[in-house]
This record gives sequence, structure tokens and C-alpha cells, in this order.
Amino acid sequence: MICIDNSEWMRNGDYAPSRFQAQADAVNLICGAKTQSNPENTVGVMTMAGKGVRVLVTPTSDLGKILACMHGLEVGAEANLAAAIQVAQLALKHRQNKRQQQRIIAFIGSPVKYDKKVLETIGKKLKKNNVALDIVDFGESDDEKPEKLEALIAAVNSSDSSHIVHVPPGDNALSDVLLSTPIFTGEEGGSGFAASAAAAAATGASGFEFGVDPNVDPELALALRLSMEEERARQEAIAKKAAEDTENKDHASSSNNDSVMAEAEPATNAADDDKKEQPKDDDDLLQQALAMSMEGGSSGSASVADAAMAEAGAVDPDLALALQMSVQDANMSSDSDMSKVFEDRSFVTSILNSLPGVDPNDPSVKDLLASLHGQGEVRSFLFLS
Amino acid sequence: MACLHDHSCEDHNCAADWSLYNHVDIPKVVALNESVPGSVKSVFKPWEQRLDTSGGFLESNEGDPELLVFIPFTSDVKIKSISIVGGADGTSPSRMRAFINREGIDFSDAQNMQPVQEWELAENLQGALEYQTRYSRFQGVANLTLHFSDNFGGDTTKIYYIGLRGEATQNKRDVVATIVYEVMPNPSDHK
Repeated sequence: MICIDNSEWMRNGDYAPSRFQAQADAVNLICGAKTQSNPENTVGVMTMAGKGVRVLVTPTSDLGKILACMHGLEVGAEANLAAAIQVAQLALKHRQNKRQQQRIIAFIGSPVKYDKKVLETIGKKLKKNNVALDIVDFGESDDEKPEKLEALIAAVNSSDSSHIVHVPPGDNALSDVLLSTPIFTGEEGGSGFAASAAAAAATGASGFEFGVDPNVDPELALALRLSMEEERARQEAIAKKAAEDTENKDHASSSNNDSVMAEAEPATNAADDDKKEQPKDDDDLLQQALAMSMEGGSSGSASVADAAMAEAGAVDPDLALALQMSVQDANMSSDSDMSKVFEDRSFVTSILNSLPGVDPNDPSVKDLLASLHGQGEVRSFLFLS
Repeated sequence: MACLHDHSCEDHNCAADWSLYNHVDIPKVVALNESVPGSVKSVFKPWEQRLDTSGGFLESNEGDPELLVFIPFTSDVKIKSISIVGGADGTSPSRMRAFINREGIDFSDAQNMQPVQEWELAENLQGALEYQTRYSRFQGVANLTLHFSDNFGGDTTKIYYIGLRGEATQNKRDVVATIVYEVMPNPSDHK
């Protein structure tokens, strides 16, 4: 049951366009969220001031009726909070489906003239009848109003079912501020509507892992999660192998980079083939990429590459890895570390064997292999495959 | 109207009698004015455990001794008598009013309506007292609402055990509950 404050204090313009309009928008949003989150939910609306405390629409699940009744409401007179809560309780008591939980959502924008004691008695009565209460404290704020309302919520609250939100005047619209509060998200931890609205408002679905709403597309979310775990496991295996290699080989850091990169590359390619989006964990891979770039190459270019990569990595970790690898190559063409890989003929032959349509005994291929040594450009050959 | 067990109370005898707790639809038991939500479920247990408070007990909010307990059954029952084990130091309930087959009773309803039967309770810490019902009025009970309006002067009211004695029939009162057809899948319904 939603109690609207349409007293004279609502004419003020400190919430754009006016307090009353901001309140009306918030009420519309709440009604939509509640009716969407569960088909058995019903919402009713009543006024606390204006022509008096009266119920505009009894609890119903028909959203059109609820939105229509908000039309043509007049602002005036004083809000009577105690009477309003009593009337709301009565309206909830006579609900058609007795199994529904009872909840009152009160928008309180005018000053509260009641004592703390009176409010606490009201709260206790609500608690006794198992009615939850949500309060949106906005508009006028004198010294005692927040404390009084907090005391009221403390008296009503049983196991965290009642909430209070204080909205100071400012640029943010009342409805936007409310979207992220438990008033909207409810107790189950998020309805699809409220959650996706909150995500849209927060610019970018950063609320969800992998940028995909599990409610909207659960299979895609599951697939992304699985591939990320797979990738993580693979990276761990690579890191482990790399750690072993460093003990064996002479050129510790460079060959560490080589083997890591050579193996990271087919891993990345495989992952590219599987999924369009790369669900890599930003921090995890970025750390690794930065660590690899720290070890190899000249420090100057590495730090420049780091800065560039940090930006790119924030956008697309896959891109970061590719960038890092190309930076590495630029650094290593002078060192010709990569060519050392190709000195290992057996390694090259094995790769060539795996390529379709390439016969290692073909003289042209053999010529190409001979020219590989000391040349860094052959890496492009491998990339294309 | 109370009767004391004047025979030596072999547990298994009495236990068999007080077995209506098996037919209580425990997940749907609701109490109003309880200080710990959900604690009312712990007062329905076998006769032997009536004094065992390890599972919790039902207590009302501070300064308010009224309690309302709504007890739905899984099938229609006939209730012969009721036994209540209360708390010490005046926290036992002193008056009990019963309503039958009415859902959604709250305190204002309970105070204004005429109950099906009303009892004056005595302090019953051992659970030896039972209160007989007017059996003809308690046939075919699908749900029972007990309103404990007063206690013996304590700050809160504590109830450790509610025992029901009677018979269960196989009938069910409301077979068709509200059905919701899913036009829009709701993940929380499938948890």
C-alpha cells in the first residue's frame, strides 16, 4: 500500500521538476516493479493530504488502474501520517488474498509533527500485526525528522523487512536514487525488472558478471562462466609450466615469455573460435599481461606499452593480450628471441605438420625454413595460421 | 475443565494420543506478535519432547503478552483436547480463545469475534494439564487459530509446547488452491 504525500510542501522545486512530480515518477516506478516481480502482487495507492486521507485505488494487480489514479491529484493541506498509516493498515487487512504479506510504503516529504513516542507506538502496532513499512524520507528535513523516522522503522522492523531511505535534494531524480535501494530490490535479492533498470541506469551492466543478465539469458551467462573457468585453469597450468621452465632453461626470463606466449597464443585463438565475447577477468589477466611485459624487453618501451595496455586492458582484456604480444615482438626482433624458437627444428616441423596442406619435405618450404633463422617476421606467418 | 493424568504416565501411551502434531502443516504455521519470526514452528513436537526447549520456543514481544497462533492442518481433524506448556514467572498464558476454519485473523478481529470456545488456563509447567473441547464443535477442523489474550503478569508470554489430541480424517477441506499460470517465468519460484 503506497502512501503519497500531496501536502503543500510538495510544491517546492528542489527536486526537478517539483517534489510532487518526482514523487509521482517514483511511485509509478515502484508500482511497475512490484507488479512485474510477482504476478500475485497487488498494489494500492492512497493520499495523506490534499482532500484528506483517502484511498485512491484498493490493492490491485492492474497497473493501468494504478497509473490512472495518479492523474489529476491536487497538492494542498497537511499530511496526517498517523491516520494515513491506520487507513493503510485497514486497506491491507481487507485484501482479497489473505496469504499476501502486508507492506506499507510511505513517502514523507513534509515535516513530521508527531512525537517519537507516538511514532513508536504506531510502529509497534504495525509490527504486532506483521505489517512491514518502507519509508522514503525526502523534501523537508528539520532536525528531528530523520531520527523520528528511524525510530519508527526500528519499532516496526522485524528481521530486516522494513527499510528507510533518506533522499537529499540534488541532481539525481528521486526514482533513480530509489532504484538501488532495498525498497525496489525487495527481499529476494532482485527482481528482473528492478535489477535490469538499475543496471541500465548505472550505465553498463556492471551489476552482472560477464555483462550478461542471468535472468535474461541464463545459457549465455552459464557458457561465459564455464569458459572463464576453463581459461583460468589453463592459465594456471601455463604459469605452472612456465615456472618449471625457468629452472631448466638458460635464458630464464625470455624463454619464460616465449613459452608462455607461444602457448597463450593458441589458447587465445581457441577461445576466440569458441566465443564471440571474451569473459576474461580484467584484473587477473591484466596482472599477468603486465607481469610478462615487465620481465621481457627494454624497460622503456615496456612501460609505455604498460600505460597503453592498461587503458586497452580496461576496455578489452583480449585486446590487451594481443597488444602486449605485439609489443613483445617489437622488443624482441632486436634480440631475436623468437627466432630461437624456430631454431628448434623439430618444434617447427611439428607445427608445420599440423597445418593442412603443407608438406615439410617440399623444397619451397625447406627454403622458407632456412630463411627463418635470424628473422623476426616469420611470426606473422604463425599468426595467420 | 482440566483433567490430570492420575495414572502412571507411560510415555508411549500418552505419546500415541498426542499425535495430532503429525497432521499440522508446520511450514504454514504463523504467529502474530512473536519476537522471533518463525519460532512458533518449534512448539509442535512429540509428547516426550514437550519440555525440551533446545529447538526454541514461542515468545511474544516485550511488554505485550498477546499471542495469536494460526495452525493449518494437512487434512481435516477432530480435536478432543489441547494441552499448553507455558513459561515460568508469570509468562504462562492465562486465557485461550479458539477459532476454527478462519484464515487471516488478526488481533482486532480476534478481540471482537466470538470464539468457538474459550478456556481459563492454569500454570502448566509440566504439561500435565489438558483442556477438553466441546467435541461437537471441533469436527472437521482444517485450521485452528488460538488467541492467547493474557498471561499471569509477566512481561512477555512464553509457550514451549502446544499439544493436540484427537483424530485425523482423510478429508481435505480446500483441494483447489490458487493456481498461477506462468505467463512470465519467475526465477525465484523455481529455487
